[in-house]
Amino acid sequence: MKWRKLGQIFEFSKSPFKNEFVSHSQSPQAVVFDNFVRVYFSTRKKDKTGKFLSHVQFVDFDKKFENIINYSKHEVIPLGNLGCFDEHGIFPFSPTSFGDKLYAYTDGWTRRVSVDIDSGVGFAFSSDGGNTFKKLGDGPVLSSSLYEPFLVGDPFVRIFLGKFYMFYIFGKKWCEKTEEHEPERVYKIGYAISDDGINWKKMNREIIKDKIDENECQALPTVIKIGGSYHMFFCYRHMISFREKKEKAYRLGYAFSDDLVNWKRNDDKGGIAASDKGWDSAMMCYPHVFHCDEKIFLLYNGNEFGRFGFGIAVLEEMT
Amino acid sequence: MFKWKKLGRIFNPLDVKNKFWLKEFAQAPATLLFDEFIRIYFSCRPKRDQSGQFVSYSAFIDLDRKNLFNIINIAKEPVLKLGQKGCFDEFGTYPISVIREGNEIWAYYGGWTRCVSVPFNTAIGFAKSKNGGVSFEKIGPGPLLSYSLDEPFNIGSVRIRKFNNVYYLFYVAGKKWTMVNSKPEMSLKIRMATSKDGLNWTKHNKNLVPEKNGENESQASPDVYYTNGKYHMFFCNWIPETFRDTKARKIGYAYSTDLINWTRDDSKAGIDVSENGWDSEMIAYPHVFEIDGKIYMIYLGNEVGRYGFGLAIIEGELN
Repeated sequence: MKWRKLGQIFEFSKSPFKNEFVSHSQSPQAVVFDNFVRVYFSTRKKDKTGKFLSHVQFVDFDKKFENIINYSKHEVIPLGNLGCFDEHGIFPFSPTSFGDKLYAYTDGWTRRVSVDIDSGVGFAFSSDGGNTFKKLGDGPVLSSSLYEPFLVGDPFVRIFLGKFYMFYIFGKKWCEKTEEHEPERVYKIGYAISDDGINWKKMNREIIKDKIDENECQALPTVIKIGGSYHMFFCYRHMISFREKKEKAYRLGYAFSDDLVNWKRNDDKGGIAASDKGWDSAMMCYPHVFHCDEKIFLLYNGNEFGRFGFGIAVLEEMT
Repeated sequence: MFKWKKLGRIFNPLDVKNKFWLKEFAQAPATLLFDEFIRIYFSCRPKRDQSGQFVSYSAFIDLDRKNLFNIINIAKEPVLKLGQKGCFDEFGTYPISVIREGNEIWAYYGGWTRCVSVPFNTAIGFAKSKNGGVSFEKIGPGPLLSYSLDEPFNIGSVRIRKFNNVYYLFYVAGKKWTMVNSKPEMSLKIRMATSKDGLNWTKHNKNLVPEKNGENESQASPDVYYTNGKYHMFFCNWIPETFRDTKARKIGYAYSTDLINWTRDDSKAGIDVSENGWDSEMIAYPHVFEIDGKIYMIYLGNEVGRYGFGLAIIEGELN
């Protein structure tokens, strides 16, 4: 694949969100309307204890991604009630339209004592064209299970072959704290299948081979069908030193499949790498691939996990 | 009509010496019958840890079948290990409920993790014993039954039963955390799930027992016993808003002919707190069992079993 980068199309510091939020516009995900493209993302506030809470907002672009024509004026979805899986943040927020219905799968965060956080996948629906979303219940639709003990998140749902497919991640282990690092987590990409988008059957498989080592962390799968095959982008990183060392930080990975079951990983073939300098030179993460009119676009975050904004690339060539 | 005649306390954990993990509390007693003795599983605690909090272990005592006040054996070690870092059962395994399956004994247990905004969360784990119930091995690091849309947290207080070749889990799910005097107090409701193999479960997704003490009433330890053509459920209940002051939990009663529709009638429970002594403030976590033609209830006393559990025998017909 060959992508042409269009640059950082959203800068947090130049947006009205800077008045209410601290930083970040993470995991941009698109819904294409007739005359514009809405991009949802998670931005951050600090709570009384000084810890971050991720909240979902959106911006609307013209269909060439040249101009921002609208900003959300209130939160898209409330955080969870006391003790709920999404009490301490929603990130990412993954909108999905089926016919004329607009749904969203959420990654809800809750704080733990021995480790930073746990997460689960929630479900919400919009009755006002995507301005706000309501949750179907207080709890998650996908959560921990026998072989996926924690950190179930990063949902991405599409209908393929007449079924709902959810690609998501789950935690494999939390490494104990050492002198060098706090407890760090390892997570992998899996998938689940559903007839209704609400009741899911986990396939209990890791579907993407590690490239770094067994502690490789894989996140945010996004899948698109082009011609007769399926293409997945995701991001991956080392377990430790990924915040400060460029060579250990998130990069975009790529895999393809003919049957949604067996995936071949080939990151080079994905055709998109970090820039030599600038906003996406030290890190690339949280990809989202989608059709818009006749073209295929890739939204993603750059340095520092999307602290400063997000950018986009357009597909020029399939090889 | 039936009543329970109290026979006295059979186990006080403060009497046990030289077991760091069994210092106080003997909670949620559950029985397993052997030819010569009756094994009673329960959950207990070491002294508070450095952060001032408890962990829970599960263990057992064996009682002489001919004299239930004669303890002939105490577990040498806890029957289950605590979970690994970040897992649902890292800080406790409480309660435990067991069932014989051929040469194996299967255990369903509540796993405890610590949270930041509320004190804890729980989910239900699964383990098997191949040595007659002396120790159990977990099937996987995660929970068997976890949070879901209508059951957002605090999945626990589990009991395993098998009726007409169907497995039943009676358990509780959290409905709401309410702030009472700046402290979160939980509202739990009795729920049910069914399974053909004991491993894959379908949640019934309804509250089984109507509330008698307001919509926030907490219900726990649903213990179901079948006799005389009826299913009899004994459980405990309390009022979250006043519990810290009254320290009171009481035993409630409901009956059903189909396990789905339950009629509650606490006036029939036939047991209440004593005027003084170890069970004068609270009676909770009832468990009904039959041995050698007699029906007994085992239950715990003050401070949710801090000082152990006692035995009562039925007078009249359980019908």
